[in-house]
Amino acid sequence: MEHATLGVRILVPLFSLCIIAMILVARKRDLFIRRIQGLSAIDEAIGRATEMGRPMICCTGLGIDGGVEIVTLQALSIVSYIIRTSARFATRAIVPVYDPQMLPVTEETIREAYTLEGRPDSYNSEDIRFLTNRQFAFAASVAGLISREKAAATFLFGYYYAEALIMAENGQQVGAIQIAGTPATTQIPFFIAACDYVIIGDEYYAASAYLSREPTQIGSIVGQDIAKGLILMIMLAGSVIVSIATYLGSPIGASFTQFFTK
Amino acid sequence: MFTPKIGGAWYGYIVGSLLAGIVLLVVLMQLPQRARKYVLWTVTFLGGLFYALEFFLPTHEMLIEGNKADGNFLSPFVVPMTNVLPVISAFAVGLGVINLFQMHTKRVLKWNLDSINSVAFFVAMIAMTVGHLMAKSPHPSPFATSLYKVLFEGALQSLDATMFSIIAFYITSAAYRAFRIRSLEATLLLATAIIVMLGQITLGQLLTHALPEYLHVEVVRNWILTKVNAPATRAISVGLGIGSLAVGLRIWLGLERGSYFDN
Repeated sequence: MEHATLGVRILVPLFSLCIIAMILVARKRDLFIRRIQGLSAIDEAIGRATEMGRPMICCTGLGIDGGVEIVTLQALSIVSYIIRTSARFATRAIVPVYDPQMLPVTEETIREAYTLEGRPDSYNSEDIRFLTNRQFAFAASVAGLISREKAAATFLFGYYYAEALIMAENGQQVGAIQIAGTPATTQIPFFIAACDYVIIGDEYYAASAYLSREPTQIGSIVGQDIAKGLILMIMLAGSVIVSIATYLGSPIGASFTQFFTK
Repeated sequence: MFTPKIGGAWYGYIVGSLLAGIVLLVVLMQLPQRARKYVLWTVTFLGGLFYALEFFLPTHEMLIEGNKADGNFLSPFVVPMTNVLPVISAFAVGLGVINLFQMHTKRVLKWNLDSINSVAFFVAMIAMTVGHLMAKSPHPSPFATSLYKVLFEGALQSLDATMFSIIAFYITSAAYRAFRIRSLEATLLLATAIIVMLGQITLGQLLTHALPEYLHVEVVRNWILTKVNAPATRAISVGLGIGSLAVGLRIWLGLERGSYFDN
């Protein structure tokens, strides 16, 4: 079983404090977060689907360990925004689900998105589809869905593995406008090659804050930036300390490294 | 409590758990929506607190599951806590199957050209379930074993492998679009890809073996992968780690807003 090192015992609570502090600040005053092009393009993609009168495919990925997990919930919160926007224009959105545990959560979230836009009758339970929880069977199902429905837009958010390219290339073949976002660093290059817009790195976790403009989430993003600044400073300080200590033959460098590893 | 039971105790625990589960479900369903959110938040908080304390509290050598390992007073409960997940998952599989049945039954009843796909779904699902149950029985017949092999190894695994192999063609078409020289970035991508690909094969090494060692294609490839690609990937991973911490923290402390949280 993995347990925290001394460095982790100090740094994780420190980063958590930064995030909580900025959430509290954001609830009292407005904070700025920069524009994310891929997320601004979501409205453009929904508009295109509306004009073409064709449906959109919103996929929340396969997840990392299966079940209800943070990566998939984050994807679902982006999909919820897409559904709310598309509900205003009565544009159909199909949501394929990979994990059966995510099915009731997805159904409830989508139903609420339609209700919040005052269109509960637009919710169609057949559009939230559990397909399968086998990786390539799911890829084949989503690819088939994209081709059969001639999707005008595909949104691929969440954690993906090798099937990412199968889905994205099928979307490309039917001429869909494609927006993808994943924390899976191995799949980012494939999405960049096949999609119109890709949200990379921590932009993925910033997405719901950017879209909802909800103070708690915006504060959280600013807190994350402060935490990243701290990490950067520790890395720079570590590089200088370890380099000088190694040059002088001092044990301080080893102690600094041990702080993070033991 | 968390040790295997045998005989009458086993039946007692099964029946007791089932009854407790049914009572819990009935009570939860009677609760108003707002109260359910508090229950959800409390369970999430306690679950998160358990794993956080187990991870952060100081450890010492102790016996966990009969093996010597580093842990603290919460460590022996990690495996039983984790065993809850497959149980929830088993219930959820039922939900998935019900969803599939509902959707495909409607399609068969409506009957149009696409309904044949729904019929194929029912045939495949029933055949696979029956084949698996027969083959995994205590004394499977040769027919059951053959049926299982045909369905699982012959059909399902082959179909999986087919889908996986299709990726090779998709990579080619995606690479063609990505590597077309249209901008400075695309040109850099193309040049990098050529170097990395040549560095992987002996032909590339042969082409540059006459050059100084630091210009050997495998050396340049290694430099690109370890000094350019790896730091960029790590930077993305650091951002993702902090992002994940922030989302986890918001959910754990009930700060998140949305369907399953207070608005």
